[in-house]
Amino acid sequence: MDYPKLGFKCGLEVHGQLDVGKLFCECEGRLRKDKPHFTVNRKLRAMAGESGYIDAAAAHAQAKGLRYVYEGYNDTTCLVELDEEPPHTVNKEALDAALTIATILHCDIADYVQVMRKTIVDGTNVSGFQRTSMIATNGYIEVGGDKISIIFVGLEEDAARRTAEDKETVTYRLDRLGIPLVEIATGPDIKTPEQAKAVALAIGMLIRATGKAMRGIGTIRQDVNVSIKNHPRIELKGFQDLKSMPETIKREVKRQQEVLYKKEKLESHVRNAKPDFTSKYLRPMPGSARMYPETDLTLIPISRDKRADIEKRLPELPDVKFNRLLKAGLNDVLASQVLFDDQFAYLHKKFKKLDPKLIATTLLSTQKEARKKADQDEGNFQQEHFEEIFKLLQDGKISKEAVLDMLVEVAKGETVASAAKKFKLMSDVELKKEIAKLKKKFAKVPENKLKGIVIGNLRGKADIQKIMKFL
Amino acid sequence: MAKFAAGDFVRVSGRGFEYTGTVMPSQDENITILKLENGYNVGIVTKRIKKPHIIKRAKQSTPVLSKVKSKSGLPKITIITTGGTITSRVDYKTGATHSLTKPEELIANIPELTKLANIKIISPFSQWSEDLTPQDFQRIADTAAVELNKGASGVIVTQGTDTLHFTSAALSFMIKDLSKPIAVVGGQRSSDRGSFDGAQNLICAVHYCLSHIAEVAIVMHANTDDDYCYALRGTKVRKMHSSRRDAFRPINCLPLAKIDPKKGVEILAKNYNKRTDKTVKADTQLEPKVVLIKFFPGLKSDIINYYIDKGYKGIILEGTGFGNIATDTWIPTLENASKHAIICMTTQTLYGTTNNHVYSAGVREEKAGVIHCNDTLPETAYMKLMHLLGTNKNLNEVRKQMTQNLVGEINTRIEKNSFLY
Repeated sequence: MDYPKLGFKCGLEVHGQLDVGKLFCECEGRLRKDKPHFTVNRKLRAMAGESGYIDAAAAHAQAKGLRYVYEGYNDTTCLVELDEEPPHTVNKEALDAALTIATILHCDIADYVQVMRKTIVDGTNVSGFQRTSMIATNGYIEVGGDKISIIFVGLEEDAARRTAEDKETVTYRLDRLGIPLVEIATGPDIKTPEQAKAVALAIGMLIRATGKAMRGIGTIRQDVNVSIKNHPRIELKGFQDLKSMPETIKREVKRQQEVLYKKEKLESHVRNAKPDFTSKYLRPMPGSARMYPETDLTLIPISRDKRADIEKRLPELPDVKFNRLLKAGLNDVLASQVLFDDQFAYLHKKFKKLDPKLIATTLLSTQKEARKKADQDEGNFQQEHFEEIFKLLQDGKISKEAVLDMLVEVAKGETVASAAKKFKLMSDVELKKEIAKLKKKFAKVPENKLKGIVIGNLRGKADIQKIMKFL
Repeated sequence: MAKFAAGDFVRVSGRGFEYTGTVMPSQDENITILKLENGYNVGIVTKRIKKPHIIKRAKQSTPVLSKVKSKSGLPKITIITTGGTITSRVDYKTGATHSLTKPEELIANIPELTKLANIKIISPFSQWSEDLTPQDFQRIADTAAVELNKGASGVIVTQGTDTLHFTSAALSFMIKDLSKPIAVVGGQRSSDRGSFDGAQNLICAVHYCLSHIAEVAIVMHANTDDDYCYALRGTKVRKMHSSRRDAFRPINCLPLAKIDPKKGVEILAKNYNKRTDKTVKADTQLEPKVVLIKFFPGLKSDIINYYIDKGYKGIILEGTGFGNIATDTWIPTLENASKHAIICMTTQTLYGTTNNHVYSAGVREEKAGVIHCNDTLPETAYMKLMHLLGTNKNLNEVRKQMTQNLVGEINTRIEKNSFLY
């Protein structure tokens, strides 16, 4: 398809959850499946603003007598989420992460950030508004040699999540409300559906590169704005994974072509992306929401010192890091698997003499295998366990082969120190003595089989090459 | 640097930035705030703006509001607004907060009110609740009395919540022969948001004003849910939380009534004054030289002498527990002070009553002339003493009345479940 000829216009809005606690209170930002500890019943009113205008959606909900039930937890919900206490000052880590992203994206950063109240009256925000802020504008990202403009970097609160609904009530869980979201919006510069995926991937990696991104499905969400010549803008949202993005966009372009051909009514609207690459009408494009300053918070100054500090602490960019890991000896698969693994980064830095491949496989697969062997579902491995084992390995006290066995013992509840006694490497003298003992014991066994027996008996207690040498 | 006025549509640029937007009011001239076309505000260090350009000067706009028409057959209710969150309005364009002055503005936000009654709004003044003076309490009481005698079914007083219970206590004492309901109401959430609690409070207050209860009551959220309000007796209520919707709690008693915004009033109290046709009188003289002092370990009794020297006529003490103070150092001071002023004792526990018999300290206080106010709340005792000293020249009579129940401020029996209700 000739996308330039079609007048293809495409831009992205990427939202990434940050794993740094909530944006305006000190609650943990954790999604929960256990039974909520309490519920609160609320209603939202349609408030008249300037010129007596009342939000139609809110008036409708109010007329229906819709009630909102909010589910909370004593230990992870406080009065701020319940709209019973003003917001606390902005989460510093979240702000730093947003500033870091804005800096990497070559943006103009605001001198003062003003937190805004964006009126939202569907109940997803207990207060009736979402707190949102603009951190920076006017940047760019280079993807595959193309410069894609970044028009907005923002920091805002995530909404409560819907857990149930009937005619009179909608139930929301407050665990998600207030989790910081960094929002990055590109200009309509994306040239092809494939490029949309590449840009989304690059922005997603950048969010993760801050080391503050939340992990798991749904933690980074993409909205795609797409249109062709003569067709109004359509927003596609709800992508389950990035793989489906190009095909979904392609089909949307085809749909728009058909709509134009059939001369159907044109309306700018939002569509939900489905797993089969089609999309379904969701709602009309919302008008610009009423936005006004959050009067409970003061302007947030972004000083020159702050900017300098952020620049000094910029994280290694994902592609640079990937190449560094390849150079260190990891293959493509391992490198991409541990690209954002903090534990790997820490251990790799601490045990420079150890093969990074060994560290990576220990974290990715060996520990799982050990748990299985020990018949333990739940991992009880701590960072210290890996550190102690790698220390023994680096000091030549245990062999590579012993790592799995050691982890099995630890999984069973042993300490690393006591496990080490079992798998400590033998001195040459001890090894020779042991080999002699085994040779004597299995004197009648043919030579080729004897090798296997000896190695089997001494595995993990001595380097295999050495065993072969002494045999 | 360029001189912009709020509302101007401008383009500004400097090193590392270029913005186009509308100038917003800024509290600091060193910071220029622009509302960009995406709706967001951005703050710019004013001196960093090198190229200012005004695209369009501000245009004055006035909000258009539909007129409120009175309906025949509906009772009349007067709302006296005095400022505070409940009658403030956010200018969504600038973010500035204004006080509502026109009834149309309040009605626009809470149209339900007009279905229940014909609403008249009087705004004698507008200020923060902590700035209220004795003169302000007098104006509120005078206005309320006039409105009730002019045929209002009830009067609603709105103000900032922080001192709502001072106002409700003041009105309780100042308006004599109260024959109709007076509701004192506030909002804990601002009126710009969908979660504005003041709307339910006002709707419930209107219901209260149509009820049979002829008492001053604070009408606010009963709990954190948006389900119903309580009417709480004006002399036995206190703000017990700085921010929650249900901050106002009854102390040493239970609510007068539960009010559902849809279903109306359900009276809970067994004893209450009932509506009559009697004319009400406002007896609004207040003695301003009254002070409320909280005792704490280490507090020197000099503070008493300070006020006596300043000519204060009344001192309300918040003692510990049963109404105790550091006896040995304080008794001689109080003994002398009570010759010049009326000294009353309340308890800083708020719940429970003072007692001057359990400990020798209490007995000595009594001898020193300190009057125990039983379970009168400190703030209520303060308003009561101001009122009594303002309206009664006979000091012995004032002393006597401080120990007597006038308008529900003293309980002879305290029910078990009234604690932390």
